Amino acid sequence: MSRSKIGTTEAVLIILTVIISHSILSLPRDLIVRTKSATILNIIFITIICTILALLIVKLFKKFGNADILDISEYLGGKLFKQIVGAIFIFYYMVSSAILLRNFCEALGLVYFQMTPIIFLILLFVIGSCISNRLGFNVSLKVNLLILPIALVSIVFIFIANFKSFDIQKIFPILGGGFKDTFVTGLLNISAFEGLKYLYFIPPYLKEPEKYKKISVLSAILTGTYLILCVSIILFIFPSFFTTNEIMPLYSAARYISFGNFLQRLESIFMMVWILSFISYLTIATKFAISIFQKMTNIKNTKEIINVFGLLTIAISMFPKNLAVSTFWETKIYSYFSIAIIFVFGISILILANIKKRKNL
Amino acid sequence: MKYTFKRIFVLTIIVLLLVAFSGSYKSLSIDKLAYVVAIGIDKSSSQGYNFSFQFTNVTSNSESGTAEKSPSIVNNVEANSIGSAINLMNSYIGKRINLSHCKVIVISEEVASEGISKHIYTLMNDTQIRPSANIVVSKCTAKYYIQNSKPILENLITKYYDIFDYSSNFTGYSSDATIGDFLNKLECDTCNPVAILGGMNTENISYPTDITENQSSSVKANESTISGKRGSENIGLAVFRDDKLVGELNALECLSYLNMTNKAKGFFITIPDPESENSYLDIYMSPTNPTKISIKITNGSPYIKVKCYFSGRIYSVDSNRQYLDEKKLEAISDICDSYLESAFSDYLYKTSKEFKADINEFGKYALSLFLTTNDFNNYNWNENYKNAFFDVKIDSIVESSILLTET
Repeated sequence: MSRSKIGTTEAVLIILTVIISHSILSLPRDLIVRTKSATILNIIFITIICTILALLIVKLFKKFGNADILDISEYLGGKLFKQIVGAIFIFYYMVSSAILLRNFCEALGLVYFQMTPIIFLILLFVIGSCISNRLGFNVSLKVNLLILPIALVSIVFIFIANFKSFDIQKIFPILGGGFKDTFVTGLLNISAFEGLKYLYFIPPYLKEPEKYKKISVLSAILTGTYLILCVSIILFIFPSFFTTNEIMPLYSAARYISFGNFLQRLESIFMMVWILSFISYLTIATKFAISIFQKMTNIKNTKEIINVFGLLTIAISMFPKNLAVSTFWETKIYSYFSIAIIFVFGISILILANIKKRKNL
Repeated sequence: MKYTFKRIFVLTIIVLLLVAFSGSYKSLSIDKLAYVVAIGIDKSSSQGYNFSFQFTNVTSNSESGTAEKSPSIVNNVEANSIGSAINLMNSYIGKRINLSHCKVIVISEEVASEGISKHIYTLMNDTQIRPSANIVVSKCTAKYYIQNSKPILENLITKYYDIFDYSSNFTGYSSDATIGDFLNKLECDTCNPVAILGGMNTENISYPTDITENQSSSVKANESTISGKRGSENIGLAVFRDDKLVGELNALECLSYLNMTNKAKGFFITIPDPESENSYLDIYMSPTNPTKISIKITNGSPYIKVKCYFSGRIYSVDSNRQYLDEKKLEAISDICDSYLESAFSDYLYKTSKEFKADINEFGKYALSLFLTTNDFNNYNWNENYKNAFFDVKIDSIVESSILLTET
């Protein structure tokens, strides 16, 4: 992978691509089902926790200069441990992006492309991301810088346009399912902050490494703010205790938007923006998976393996038999997977490496 | 050589993708689609339903130029479900039905009384049906209602369906009840859904009805004294408890509903003239502030306080009248207050005791009284609503008449 340098804004947007792509699918609804009317309170709570965790990650990285987690794991456990950690993160990046891709394509197929086989929809995204990766990381960063703000604006627009339909009373009962559901079991909602996984790999690529702390705090806060926006849209329009499982709640909310008789049916414009932001997400995820692989294997030129990773993405995304299986992975398994890799495994490596460094000193 | 190979490869991919997506494109060609503007659901003589589809002829539709009314076509089919009905109708008309311009879903009273959740969920499961499509419960058959829904001041039936709920903004005699709202309220633990009440005007009713009410505010669809070119009319609301029809609201009750839910923009009321017996004044009222609702749980029953704020203008003017006299205006305001208090109270107790359905969404105001959803679920708002007490206060200020202040 080329040593293109990432600016502060670009780094923050890289982390936000994950939450934007996931929120288009069932993430807001999953959060609400878990914590009911106390979801907003829960998100504020987990934003504080994630900001603290992000600061902890930054502090744990301090002693290692511009190293990433692979270098630190090599320091901790040698080359073998580095390969294991690398393999785990590649597996996580590929599986998470492929499952989200599958779910997004299924939803897209149901809404707009009922006659098109799912493989063509998946190919559309994978080919787009492979071409983008071949053009270079700089290109992906610049395109991300262009598309992500538009995607963010689209969510803000849905929020504002639906404001007249909001029922603010749906924020009550204030504790939702109870104290335990909101603050204990509700901690599972921390998986929504999976964008922080990029914090482990961006330090060597930062243009201004001294801004690493600012990037991590800003990302956590912006992710929390964005989640509050998305959840508010769903919570205040649709009944808070609803049992109907809608395939894309934000898309359903966009269908309610109309301005008189002239501006109606705007959801297709939102879908177009979300498709572009999803390709951006897939590009970034594949890029980081390839860079991890390059570090593990010391390959000089990664252009040849871009297609391999593309094919891997297609294979993993075609693995679930149908929408029910891929939705099960996304709603039930994905959150535990994310928490285990990002917040438990990653932080544990950093803590152990810091302890080892202190002992050696 | 490598460059040429790359170009050929990219071109092949583009062509493959175009071919892949052309399947969907071909099937969506406008000539192969039949646009449904209204769907009707009646009970059939056999076990299933009688579905009516009102089509509009796309090629003859033109807003500009032609003064001729574009005809609509109503076809019927008996089937057990909407899906089967659509399938049969597709084979009959030789085109593919497209529901993306369906504006109205009409359900007969008989079907509504048995429960309509199956139809609502099926329709909302379709990507083509818009959440903004209106839902009407008709007192006659849905087929008859649709056949008689003819535009009289518009050229296109779609234009008529677009604006037919508009009058609720300034009369309060109907409401913009949509299928999206209906589904949300069906799923909601704190409210119950409503639908527009449709029927036929007296000129077009094929069976005699006993119209005993003289007051225009007390009429409903099928009972008004309107006679006109269009047979169908929409006055009042159909009230549902869960998915079953449990009652109807007349014009004045519908107005009360709109005020409780802050949807009323302005409406007329007719009150006794304080200056002369056997004489009435028409006042145009408009809300000045949102309705204030507060709820307490007293001895396990909800105690609901409602306060509404209006400003009024005297519309009907008689001879030898002074409409800028403060005392007279105060007297008129007091009569308005007591009239509306009585009307709103009667309406609220009707929803509580007779319908046992919280269509005013008072339940959402009660949510703040509970700490957790379990506490709220244990209280069972929908069951306790029938024990509710209401305290209605109206604060209206009749300011003057409009152009003539003295005669």
